[in-house]
Amino acid sequence: MFRRLLSTAVKSTVPQTADVVIIGGGPAGLTLAAAIKNSPVLKNLNCKLIEGGNLIDPLESFHTTTPEDFMNRVVSLTPATISYLQEIKAWDYVKEERTETYDSIHAYDGVTGSKIEFDSPEIATMCENFNLQSALLQRIKDLNEVSESDLEIVEKTKVIEITTNEETNWPIVQLSNGDSIQTRLLVGCDGFNSPVRKFAGIESRGWSYDRWGIVATMKYKNDAFRYPTGWQRFLKSGPLAQLPLPNGWCSLVWSTTPELANILMKLPEDQFIAMVNAGAKLSPEEMGYLYDLAAKNDDTLIDEINWRLSLFNSKLKPEEESSYPLELESMVTNSRGRFPLRLSHADTYVDERIALVGDAAHTTHPLAGQGLNMGQADVKSLVHTLEVSAQRGLDIGTKFALEPYFSERYPENHVMLGIVDKIHKIYSTDSTPIVMARSFGVDVINNLPFLKDFMVSQISNK
Amino acid sequence: MMIRNQLNRESEKDHFNGLAATWWDTQGSQRILHKMNLIRMDFINDTIKKNLKLNKDIVNDEEDEIFIPGWNFKGILPTEVSQNIQFEQTKKINEMYSNLKLDCLDIGCGGGILTESLARLPIVSKIKGIDLSPEVLKVAKQHMKLDPILSNKLEYELKAVEDLNESDMYDIVTMMEMLEHVDHPAIVLREALQHVKPGGYLFLSTINRDLISWFTTIFMGEYVLKIVPIGTHTYSKYINDFEIKEFAQEFKDEFKVIDSKGCIYLPLYGWKFTKSSGVGNYFLALQRKG
Repeated sequence: MFRRLLSTAVKSTVPQTADVVIIGGGPAGLTLAAAIKNSPVLKNLNCKLIEGGNLIDPLESFHTTTPEDFMNRVVSLTPATISYLQEIKAWDYVKEERTETYDSIHAYDGVTGSKIEFDSPEIATMCENFNLQSALLQRIKDLNEVSESDLEIVEKTKVIEITTNEETNWPIVQLSNGDSIQTRLLVGCDGFNSPVRKFAGIESRGWSYDRWGIVATMKYKNDAFRYPTGWQRFLKSGPLAQLPLPNGWCSLVWSTTPELANILMKLPEDQFIAMVNAGAKLSPEEMGYLYDLAAKNDDTLIDEINWRLSLFNSKLKPEEESSYPLELESMVTNSRGRFPLRLSHADTYVDERIALVGDAAHTTHPLAGQGLNMGQADVKSLVHTLEVSAQRGLDIGTKFALEPYFSERYPENHVMLGIVDKIHKIYSTDSTPIVMARSFGVDVINNLPFLKDFMVSQISNK
Repeated sequence: MMIRNQLNRESEKDHFNGLAATWWDTQGSQRILHKMNLIRMDFINDTIKKNLKLNKDIVNDEEDEIFIPGWNFKGILPTEVSQNIQFEQTKKINEMYSNLKLDCLDIGCGGGILTESLARLPIVSKIKGIDLSPEVLKVAKQHMKLDPILSNKLEYELKAVEDLNESDMYDIVTMMEMLEHVDHPAIVLREALQHVKPGGYLFLSTINRDLISWFTTIFMGEYVLKIVPIGTHTYSKYINDFEIKEFAQEFKDEFKVIDSKGCIYLPLYGWKFTKSSGVGNYFLALQRKG
């Protein structure tokens, strides 16, 4: 059963023919594959997924022998995303004991201390990428059991070249295993550097935020209990977010400048944990001093932080304690990683025989946790578009058939990218008038429940 | 042969020969026609689904029967019950629909926009497209090569409807945007109806002869907005929906008009069904009894 997913060893020079070839086995590509096979209208399409890395074995072993530690690639899923995963029956396979749903986000300003609390039942659910991907693979295996035509996953195989069949204008994908496939529709779920987008000559516009996102899996002090809460402190260098995982664990996403990221990445793990605790509470001036110490490999860093934190804590009134996250005690060894942050948006998501989905079409700052969710909304829209077009007898690879997907998703993604970008810009300055204005704005918002509810509903797609 | 010449003046044929090159230009001058094809397909699919007889083949086993209350159950029964009934019916309809195997004829197929779309439907087992313009048929034959699944389901012929074998019978006969281009629509329609199998359908669409049609299709469409090429339409050839319905009275023992719907083009949106088939463009479906 499991063998059926593996690529066949037969090599040939004559291109195979497919209806849909998906490039990329990330969450977007796997969701698209599962959704196509789950659709009563599209299930008989000849569909293949190409992935450069080793995909099936690691996902299978996650499913059968769950690792003890949490992995450092974690995403925030909105209720809309989860309900779509339920619709395509992939959510059944997600190990829910490894996910954490929280209903409150505390966002606070690192310069002025203004804060805003968003409360809403099930605002978001934290889930490891692998948990999601593994569930999708199980769902695809299910569907292959009952389908006339299997969805074939070709893994450990790179796309060498994409050419065009001169007679039919269908794209031909040349693979590193020697196969070539000509396809009615080529879908790029192949990330920011999308080879599919480049083949189609679609321009992607945007800018680098000149920031890195540092991630790590960390644990709060054992004796403390709190309801799962998301924490986000807007430091001038970028937001520091602690997002809850089960059993007192959390996922850290710290966006910061390349210089500070270098310092933080080089620190020994115990000093890194101390710096995160400092970042959650101390003032910009104190942080500046601590970064200097850290850059000099000063042994007194931990003592310095502990002293400053105890001073800070001693001044807190008891009722203020719950306004700050608990202190972190440990982290999963080697779970620290970093990635560059940028905003990008492709000029179009569709062309003749081409569709772009997820990061291939747009990337965003992680501060609102929207990147993956935008990709999931893309998948939903694309599958709906393909269903309607197929029912109307259109050739589903034509730009004419794909246009509704683009016109539905582009404006929504554009607005989301814009909102996130503005939040980043407003908080990455310490220019006095803007700081005063944003504190005032945040205080106003925090005291107007209906406005907050509106913002939450926008972010969680309710 | 004589009838054919009478039906299709050379000027019409020349006009369409000239359009051949741009027929499949979905981003250019033929976009509006491709857009219209979307609701043609909706009209055809909807009509077929609506007219499936749910319990037709079930004779003895009442267990298999789908409950059809025959009264306004949605208004009377509790929501959950009525939703269940609705769900059962929809499920059965979709199942019956997907088991259909239909033989189709597209009269006045042009470059094959509708013909190809019908050919791709899993419920269509074979389709023939006929037209009188050799140039557009050449385009149609060329274009079908772009999609390999078409070659064993679809064929085109340079032929008039009256030249078809009398014994050629089809489950679906279509004449879309065609009657307004012929000189004697009644003769063509009568010929077409002869090729519909018992229980089969004839779908047609054309344009009402009224001021609104003239304003939208000729004045705005051809001259002001230039969405379609000048000379595409001839006002005097437009046919009102009641004229076809009256004409169908002639066959009322054999054929029934089962649906008619108006449609309108909204710039930036596309085509949309309207409540009135008596204004502007419209679709009409006839079913042969049996």
